[in-house]
Amino acid sequence: MLRGGPLVEPSSDSDVVVNTDRLVISRLQHRLGFGPRPGEYAAALQTGVSKIREMALTPPITDAGLAKVAALPITDLGPYPAPRSAERRVFNSAMREMTNSLQLWALDRMVSADHGLTERMTWFWHGHWATAISKVEAPLPMYNYYATLNKFALGNFKEMARAMVVDGAVLYWLDGGQNTASAPNENLGRELMELFTLGVGNYTEDDVKSAAKALTGYKVVRSNGIVSFRAKDHYSDPINILGVTQNFDADSLAMFIASQRQCSRFLAERFWYRFISSSTPLPNKSKIPDAIAANLSISDGVRALAFDPGFSDVTNSQVKAPVEWFVSVCRALSLMPSVVSKHLPVLDILRAFSQIPFDPPSVGGWPADEAWLSTASAQLRITNAEKLAKLGDLTPISALAVRDRVQGSADWLGVPMWSTRTQSALEQVRSDPITLTILAITAPEYLVSA
Amino acid sequence: MDTVSRRRFLQLMGAGAAGAAATRLSIADIARAAITNPLPLNTPILVIVTMYGGNDGLNTLIPYNDSTYITNRPDIAYGVGEVLPLDDQLALNRSMSGMKTLWDQKKLAIVRGVGYPQPDHSHFRSMAIWQSASPVGAQSSGWIGRWLDGRKADPMLAINLGSVIPPLLTGAKRVGSALPLGGLVVPTGSLASECQLLAKPSIEDGPLQALAAGSMSDLFKLSSEISSELKKPAPKASDLPTIQGGNAGGNSNLAQQLDVVAKLIAAGAPTRVWSVSLGGFDTHADEKGAQSILIGNVSDSIARFLSQVRSTNRGKDVVVLAYSEFGRRVKGNASQGTDHGTSGPVFVMGEKILGGFYGDQPSLTQLNAGDLAVTTDFRDIYASLIEGMLTTPADKILGKWAGRTPLLKV
Repeated sequence: MLRGGPLVEPSSDSDVVVNTDRLVISRLQHRLGFGPRPGEYAAALQTGVSKIREMALTPPITDAGLAKVAALPITDLGPYPAPRSAERRVFNSAMREMTNSLQLWALDRMVSADHGLTERMTWFWHGHWATAISKVEAPLPMYNYYATLNKFALGNFKEMARAMVVDGAVLYWLDGGQNTASAPNENLGRELMELFTLGVGNYTEDDVKSAAKALTGYKVVRSNGIVSFRAKDHYSDPINILGVTQNFDADSLAMFIASQRQCSRFLAERFWYRFISSSTPLPNKSKIPDAIAANLSISDGVRALAFDPGFSDVTNSQVKAPVEWFVSVCRALSLMPSVVSKHLPVLDILRAFSQIPFDPPSVGGWPADEAWLSTASAQLRITNAEKLAKLGDLTPISALAVRDRVQGSADWLGVPMWSTRTQSALEQVRSDPITLTILAITAPEYLVSA
Repeated sequence: MDTVSRRRFLQLMGAGAAGAAATRLSIADIARAAITNPLPLNTPILVIVTMYGGNDGLNTLIPYNDSTYITNRPDIAYGVGEVLPLDDQLALNRSMSGMKTLWDQKKLAIVRGVGYPQPDHSHFRSMAIWQSASPVGAQSSGWIGRWLDGRKADPMLAINLGSVIPPLLTGAKRVGSALPLGGLVVPTGSLASECQLLAKPSIEDGPLQALAAGSMSDLFKLSSEISSELKKPAPKASDLPTIQGGNAGGNSNLAQQLDVVAKLIAAGAPTRVWSVSLGGFDTHADEKGAQSILIGNVSDSIARFLSQVRSTNRGKDVVVLAYSEFGRRVKGNASQGTDHGTSGPVFVMGEKILGGFYGDQPSLTQLNAGDLAVTTDFRDIYASLIEGMLTTPADKILGKWAGRTPLLKV
C-alpha cells in the first residue's frame, strides 16, 4: 500500500478522513511544475511531503529531459521587404513558420523537463513581463526574451530587472525604442513601475515621468532585438525618483527600483496570486516578502511560498489555465507537443482557448481562475481531450485491473481525490481506457485545484 | 498527519473563489429565456461599449480650428480638410461617418471632458474606477454589479460578450453572465452522455469546481432546435490592423459581439444590460492610422447595430454608452503617439437620446501638468442612465450624487 494513501479511510463518525499529503504533493507537482508523468505522483507519495518539497525546490544543474529538446533554428529575418512584393510573401511565410516552431518549442520544454520548476517559473515570468509577438512580430527577439526569462527564472530579481529593461522584445512592445529626451514616451516607465516591480499606488505620476526620462535614448532593431544606447537622445540631467535625485539610466533605474522594499512585497503578492490564490490577498504575516527582500533571490521567494501555510491550505484552489492543462495532459499521456502538432493543430487549439505562449492578451498578462471556466472552454476541453486520449500512451491505466482503474487514474494524474460524482462517472466507463482518460482529464477535480 | 473530513475537504477545495460565481450562458439559454420569458416591450436596454487602452479623445472629437491642437501634436494632428465637422470648433475623426450620421439625426449625445477627480494614469486602475464608479476606491464592485445586487437573482439581467467577466458586472452578491462568442459544437453520441455525468452538480464541489461542472452542463443545454434561429452566420467583422501599442486588453471583434447582441435583443432576451468591448487604444506609437481605424470600427459597429435594432420593435428601447478609461496627453510624444492622459469624450446614442453636446470642451492651454481638465464627472452620466435606463434611484448605486447629464428624452 502507498504510504501516502489510500486517500479515504473510514472514521468513527461515519465521515471520511482525507490524507492531506496527497493534496500537498499534488500542488507541488502541478503548481511548481506542470504535473506528474506516469508513476511520479505515486512514487512521491511513497517518498513523503518533506523530501518531495525539497526536491521540487532544487533543480538539477542539467536537466536530461530538457536536453532532448532540439535547439531552435531562429534567425534574424532582417527588415520587412516591400508590401505585396514576392519577397514579402516569402518573408511572411518564414516568419509564420518560425513563430509556430517557437511556440511549440516552449511547449515541448514544459513537457520535457524532468524537473518542472525552472520551466514553470519561466512561464510565470512570461505572464509577469508580459510581452506579445502580436506586436513585436519578429521571432528572434521573442526567443531571446524567453531565454533571458529562463536564465533568471530562479535567479536574482535585480539582475532580471536589469536585463528586462533593455530587452529588445520588451522595449519594442512598450515603445521604449522611441523614447527620447526631447519627447519621452511613458509606456515602458509606467508599466515597469505598475506591473513589473512596484504595483499600482506605490509611486507617483512624477515618478513615472522621471522613469520615462531615465529610459530615454535606447534604440532597438526590431528584427533581432539588438538594443543600443544613443547618448544624445538620453536625458542626462539628475532626476527625482521615489524621493532620490541622481542621474539615472535604464540599468541604474532597474537596480534602484528592484532594491525598494515595496518591490519584494509586490513580487510576493504576484507569487501568491499565481501559485496560491487569486481571490485572497497575501496575508500580512506571510514570510514571502522578507524571503525575497533579503537577497532579491527569486528561488528564496519560491521556497518561502512552498512552505507558506497558504500553499497547503485546501481552500486555496486554482484553475489550470489552458496551457497548464494541455501541458499536464501531455506529460501524463507521454505526448510531445511538436509531435502532436503533426496530427492536431495544437497552436490553433490553444489560440481558441485564448492562451498561447508568446501572445498574452495585454501587458497585464493572462487572467486567472474563473476566466478559464466558460462554456467555450468546456467544449474545447472535451473535444481535444478525446483527440489527445486517442494519441496518447494509456498503459498507465490500461495495464491496471479494471477494478483498480478509477483510483489508479487519480494516482496517474496526481489528483488528490475524485468527488463521488466523478468517481461514479469513472466507474461506469472504467472498462474503456480511452473514455476513462477523457473523463478524468476533463473532470472538475483535474481542472480545479491541485 | 493533518486530516479533515472528506466533505469539508472537497467543499474547501473550491472555496477560495469569490462568493458569487459568474454564470456562463449559452446562446440557447438566452434564446430559451427569450421564448419563455421575453422582455416586455418598452423596457429600456442599455448596451455598454468599453474601449480598452485609453482612446485619444482629441483625435476622436477634434478641436480642428484650434492652432494649439496642431502645434502640440504636429505628427498626428488632423488638418481642417481631414475631419467631419460638427460645428465651427469641433469635428469627428474622418473614420466616424457612422456616428456623424447619428449626430445629424440628433441621436448622438457627446459629453465633453469626462473624467473624475485626481485622474489615475494606470490602465488597470483607471478602468477599475470607471467600472466601479468609485474614484476613491470605496467600492470594489462594479456599478452594474451593484444594480444586480438590488434585484432578484437572474442570470439573464446583465450579460457580457466574451468569456471573461469585467469588474463592471461584478456585484457584492451577484455577478453578470458571460456569453462566449463563436460557434459551440456540442459533443454528441455516447461521449456526450458520459461527459454529462461529470456536468452534474456535486454537493462536494467548491465554487470553482461547481463552475467547471456548470460550464459543461451549460454546453449540453444547447439545443439545436432553439438555437437554430440564432445560428445565422454573423456578418464578418472587418479585419483589424496590427496595432501599435495595442497592449492594454479588450477584444478585437466588436462588430461580431454587437451582431449577437442585436439578434438576442430582437429575439426578446430578458436582458437589461449588455457589455461589449474593443481593445487596442493604447496608442503610444504610430497612433494616427491605428486610432482612426479603431474609432472608425466603434463608430461603424454601433451605427450598424442601432440600425439593426431599429428594424425590430425594440429600436426605441436601446441606448448605447461608449467610454474609455482615459484620454491621452495633449502633446504628442516622439513616437508619433501619445501617452496616458485624463479626460475624454463619452458617446451616448439611441432613439431615446437628445442629440448634441453636453459639458464643456476642456481648454488646450489651461492644462494640469500637461493634461486636459475634467469638466464633467462620469458619474453624472451614470446617474442619468441609472435613473432613465435602469429605473433605479442613482443614490442606491453611486451613493449620494447630485450631478446629472440630461441626455435622455423625458
